[in-house]
Amino acid sequence: MKASISGIGWITAAGFGQGRGTGDFAMTDGALPEIARKDFFADPFPRFGRLDEFSRLGLSAIALALGDAGLDQWEEKRNFGLIAASAYGCLTTDIAYFDTVLADGGALASPNLFAYTLANCVLGEAAIRFGLTGPGFVVNETAASRLTSLVMALESLFWGECDVLVAGVCDLPFPLETTGIAPVAPGALFLVLTKDSSPDEKRSSPLLGLDGRGDLEIDGVPVRDWTEVARASLAPAASGGKMSAVNS
Amino acid sequence: MIPVLVTSAAAVTGLGESLDETWRRLLQGESAIAPVTRFDTSVYQSRLASCIPGLSRGGEETLLTPLLERLFEGFPDLPAEIRLLLATTKGGIDVLERQRRGEAVRLEALLPETTLAAVAGRFGLKESGVNINAACASSTIAVARGAALIASGFAETVLVCCLDLVSEFVFSGFSALRALSPEPSRPFDRERAGLTLGEGAAALVLMSPGAARRCGRLPLGRVLGWGVANDATHITAPARDGCGLILAVRQALAKAELCPGAVSAISAHGTGTVYNDLMELTAFATVFGAHRVPIHSAKGAIGHTLGAAGGIEVALGFKALAAAIVPPTVGFQTPEAGAEEIVKSQAVSFAGDVLLTTNSGFGGVNAALLLGKGEAA
Repeated sequence: MKASISGIGWITAAGFGQGRGTGDFAMTDGALPEIARKDFFADPFPRFGRLDEFSRLGLSAIALALGDAGLDQWEEKRNFGLIAASAYGCLTTDIAYFDTVLADGGALASPNLFAYTLANCVLGEAAIRFGLTGPGFVVNETAASRLTSLVMALESLFWGECDVLVAGVCDLPFPLETTGIAPVAPGALFLVLTKDSSPDEKRSSPLLGLDGRGDLEIDGVPVRDWTEVARASLAPAASGGKMSAVNS
Repeated sequence: MIPVLVTSAAAVTGLGESLDETWRRLLQGESAIAPVTRFDTSVYQSRLASCIPGLSRGGEETLLTPLLERLFEGFPDLPAEIRLLLATTKGGIDVLERQRRGEAVRLEALLPETTLAAVAGRFGLKESGVNINAACASSTIAVARGAALIASGFAETVLVCCLDLVSEFVFSGFSALRALSPEPSRPFDRERAGLTLGEGAAALVLMSPGAARRCGRLPLGRVLGWGVANDATHITAPARDGCGLILAVRQALAKAELCPGAVSAISAHGTGTVYNDLMELTAFATVFGAHRVPIHSAKGAIGHTLGAAGGIEVALGFKALAAAIVPPTVGFQTPEAGAEEIVKSQAVSFAGDVLLTTNSGFGGVNAALLLGKGEAA
């Protein structure tokens, strides 16, 4: 099972960007940059203003990744899949929504916020925006690497479930004070994956696959977390990759 | 493709502590929908839901804990090296409710990973698996994924476990969206006025024939085909032309190498909302044409159990195949246009050995599974 990484986009506390050859990547603790529509979408996109914070984060990072792959424009719907890993999902929206319930005994609960209290709705927004009809879901896991979604993406491509798979990770900062939950760095990072069938000498995109033990690697380099995935994906291609840095 | 066998199935619903009890009462046309006592519903659009009798937290942080205990009571042991696919939409949302009300809670209980660890610990699994969140198609997709793992030889045994609760969080939200029916839901009825929520859980063990043989398990049935597709049209409403569901059903038929005429019965999502039921009738008419397949929905009896719906309906689907009976659609009286003669308020027998089960949800998701008859049901 191998897939070409034909696009990458991210939003982290260190900034946002897309494309290879953009220098170092960091997914660290800290405040995420403000996600303004004009930084990610050239058209007015009035729907963007209605989205919850989690959806804005994920949708914008997916837009960067698809833009980097040259797949953000469409006329007919496409069989692209979407898989996102998330530790907290839309917990920030859950809290905002339930506080509207508590504010007036439930009588003024916000229907708009409730619509975004399902973590997969960020993928639904991406499906609508980019015309994507493939399978889509959000994955929560206990593994420290949080990379199971990438393995699942490889499986989906291998099984022929979709032509292209946009896979990544999306998390806002944990919105509650706690000492019992190990924090994960906030941010979103998405890769555009296509099933690889080209001979090595003709390939210019990084190659995601599994090594002999079933662990993920990119161009033969083991990757154990999302930062390593990004850095391995962003390494300049020997034959010259695309360059399209944005504010990173 | 390696055959995908389902060798164990369990369910807990408002109708019963077990799959057998749920099936028996469903066949009798009973409904578990009743006034909610868990929280005050006086300001909401409905007073009703299908709650599991006697489900209480005790000293636990979340109702998920006693729900899992009930689900796995008497459940067979499993090999340690299996894949676990959990499916829940809001998991321990009751913990968040209490936290926002100022109660001291252990926040870990609201994260799906805590439920994953609990299930993995219950069976001594080597890997704790993943939770799949795809709204009301979560467990349908989990079964599809598990089936694909078995069929491709990537796994020998997969445990799919799904569960969701009736909570004020979700209840108030569907009320705010004006999607709750003031009366018990009436799937595919012309006078339907919305959905009724429910809670429940299901567990399904998927095995390759080799694993089943080694474990001495007889198949309850087979997963023959699966498909998942997105409408890409709206976040909360289904595509009126049923485009995503049509695609998902056709994918399932192609995977199973079956023609539409091979399908003998349909367990529909059938929420009882105006738009969902119309969308499904449109999609089924498009796929099946003149082949009028009997359709039923369990949601008039057990409510809409959200992420658990697909798994529960798969478990009931194997019961239906074994008995060659389509259960009644409780609450159904006057058919919506297109539902005449194919949706019934009474149980009806059918000939054949393939049942289609489908679910759709927020985010535009649609999933379809084709189930085949087993030997041990």
